[in-house]
Amino acid sequence: MQPLANITPLKPAGAIEVRNVGQIFEMKTQTVVALEDVSLDIKPGRFVVLVGPSGCGKSTLLMMMAGLREQTSGTITISGVPIPKPDPNRVGVVFQEASLFPWLTAEENVEFPLALRGVPKSDRRAKAQDALKLVGLDGFGKRHPHELSGGMKQRVSIARGLVQDPPVLLMDEPFAALDEQTRMTMGDELLRIWAATGKTVVFVTHSLTEAVYLADEVIVMSPRPGRIVDHLQVTLPRPRTYEMLSGDAFGVLRDRIWRHIRKSA
Amino acid sequence: MQSGLAVKATRVGIVVALFAIWEMLSRTGIVNPRLLPSASDTLVTLGDLLQRASVQKDLAVTATEVVTAFALAVPVGALIGFLIAENKYFSDVVKPLLFFAFSIPKSIFLPMFILMFGVGFAQKVGFGFFSTIFIVIMSTTTAVESVKVEHLTVARSYGATPMQTAFRVYLPSMLPVLLEALRISMIFNLTGVILAEMYASRDGIGHQIATWGENFQMKQLLAGVLMVAAIAIAFNELVRWVETRCSHWRT
Amino acid sequence: MSAATVRRLIVIVLIALWEILPRAGVIPTLFLPSLSSTLIAGWNEAGEYGHALAVTLYEVAISMVFACGGGILLGAIVGSLPRPRVLIMPMVSSLYAVPLVILYPVFTVWLGIGTESKIAFASIYGFLPTMLATAAGIQTIDPQLLLAARSMGATLSQRLIRVIIPAAIPTVLSGLRVGGALVIVGVVVSEMLISSAGIGYLISRYRTILDSPHVFAGVLLVLAMAIAFNAAIKWIERKAAIWQTGSRAGQRAADEITAGAVQPAT
Repeated sequence: MQPLANITPLKPAGAIEVRNVGQIFEMKTQTVVALEDVSLDIKPGRFVVLVGPSGCGKSTLLMMMAGLREQTSGTITISGVPIPKPDPNRVGVVFQEASLFPWLTAEENVEFPLALRGVPKSDRRAKAQDALKLVGLDGFGKRHPHELSGGMKQRVSIARGLVQDPPVLLMDEPFAALDEQTRMTMGDELLRIWAATGKTVVFVTHSLTEAVYLADEVIVMSPRPGRIVDHLQVTLPRPRTYEMLSGDAFGVLRDRIWRHIRKSA
Repeated sequence: MQSGLAVKATRVGIVVALFAIWEMLSRTGIVNPRLLPSASDTLVTLGDLLQRASVQKDLAVTATEVVTAFALAVPVGALIGFLIAENKYFSDVVKPLLFFAFSIPKSIFLPMFILMFGVGFAQKVGFGFFSTIFIVIMSTTTAVESVKVEHLTVARSYGATPMQTAFRVYLPSMLPVLLEALRISMIFNLTGVILAEMYASRDGIGHQIATWGENFQMKQLLAGVLMVAAIAIAFNELVRWVETRCSHWRT
Repeated sequence: MSAATVRRLIVIVLIALWEILPRAGVIPTLFLPSLSSTLIAGWNEAGEYGHALAVTLYEVAISMVFACGGGILLGAIVGSLPRPRVLIMPMVSSLYAVPLVILYPVFTVWLGIGTESKIAFASIYGFLPTMLATAAGIQTIDPQLLLAARSMGATLSQRLIRVIIPAAIPTVLSGLRVGGALVIVGVVVSEMLISSAGIGYLISRYRTILDSPHVFAGVLLVLAMAIAFNAAIKWIERKAAIWQTGSRAGQRAADEITAGAVQPAT
């Protein structure tokens, strides 16, 4: 008989499990509890949105899932394995402002994570082309970031997050710096890319409308200490349309989130 | 606050340590004491020098030159700066020329001032003025441009008179930038006057320092260097202290 | 009329006045010799000026290695480590307020009036602003870029080579510009004060015998040197234009530096 410990966890690729996670910052004068006893299960291929007022720890939680920050207590597993440091094969990250390297072209930016791993130039180029095509930027590869609009920059960022084909894509307020129209378009684009790739997406935002519009599930968090106060299932049919925004079902969900946030603000 | 105090203490510690190393190098003879008199000897010499009538006179001469050059350069430069900032066309014409004038070394024109004014008060003040005016013009332009259009619009929409706009919007928004300009202009001015004194002059502290150097009077020379450095740093810190006081105006 | 045309006209008028006013006797030629007599004076003594230029350029080149090399290196170290930065940077900028010219007599006593004292003085003269500029620029590197690189699994050395160094290039260039300009000033000033060779020395020597055309020929030569240096740096900056337009923070730092926050004093 095999001892149990040797069996690899039977978690499928793309599952995220957060167990009793806590984060405490020791400051000079006080101790801040950024996260308290947060537990969460995300099934593969789901689109999950984290919302909450500033300081509720949603970005902190995302950084932990990316292996960019260590929790004080509890465990986080991605595809069944803990993530003590960044692992681009399992997790791609898209940041707030287009965190593209200004001295590289769009395709060189997308190739960057592959170049770090010493992937040969021709393979790199081919993969970058595919990723750029996926986000709808075919033919823009030779441009530098300053020659691209805000929305296009974030498309490049998404392509960069997807280029190694990780099962999970983490997004930290990716559209916060965009204007309203671009933001809506990018939301639709993201849903299209998500449907085409079947990734697990965890998306952090301030916008309630954006949260309900995009998500399968919305996790509402509150600050001081940061914790989960509600977990909503969004049962609106897909594909999502603009008409749904004014519908009753949409309004009910948005109001429910808003009540939580108003209470904690 | 506590850490701020620790940082200050460490800084004082670094300065004390530098003086201690200087003292040690000289006392132990690692460096020839003729070339590097000990820190304590230099400080004693500095005390003596400050009591000497001739040195006091030199300091007074330098101070007069610096103040005169400054008093001339700041209003003239500020006026030109205002005109440039307020008039788009004028600014388009003149700005690149000023940038060019600003980037070329001023010190090579020092001989011109001697040819023109001879050796004396006018030449030193003239060169001090010349070294300062460009930075005053540039800083004033920056200061005027730093006034936010929104603030002016708000003032106008509530019916502020031009006088009220000047004193209640322009001045408070420009004050921090102007103070910074004042500080940097003074650095340029002091350097200009002292260089002019060292190059060709009959009096002033710069002239005195150059003479001590030519006569290999190291104690006096180093004491003079410390003196000028202390005065410059003291002025600089004073203005910076005032700057931090009004920094809350800028956001 | 467009601003550029007016500007060109102003420059042409100024140059014409330089020729006409001394000729017409409006300005004594002792104060300002006419442009043509200045150029002729320079041309007649071309050998002497050429030799002096070689001496000065040699001193400038060596001082530049010390000032810019040391300034960029130390600035990068101090700028990227928070503790030394908080401790040292304010001290360095107070030191910047001191008119460093007063140190030159000390160097002549220690090193004599030859090239060594000039190199020592000009190196120190160019060092402080280069260091201040580099340290300020290193701080403006966007932390998001480093975080993004880390999320893609970049190691420490990969972050240094692929992120920090490219991001620091605009700053290093502006440091080079400020430091280099100051080195030229430092060498010429020290030659003017006490020395036996170089363009500054020629200017001073002709000044004492009141030979204005030769003084102005020397001044023109130094001007040409400063302008050539500026043009060279601008050329390099254009070559690295993507860096410039790319990092807004770096550009802002470079602007502040050129705007006079850290600038050649005299």
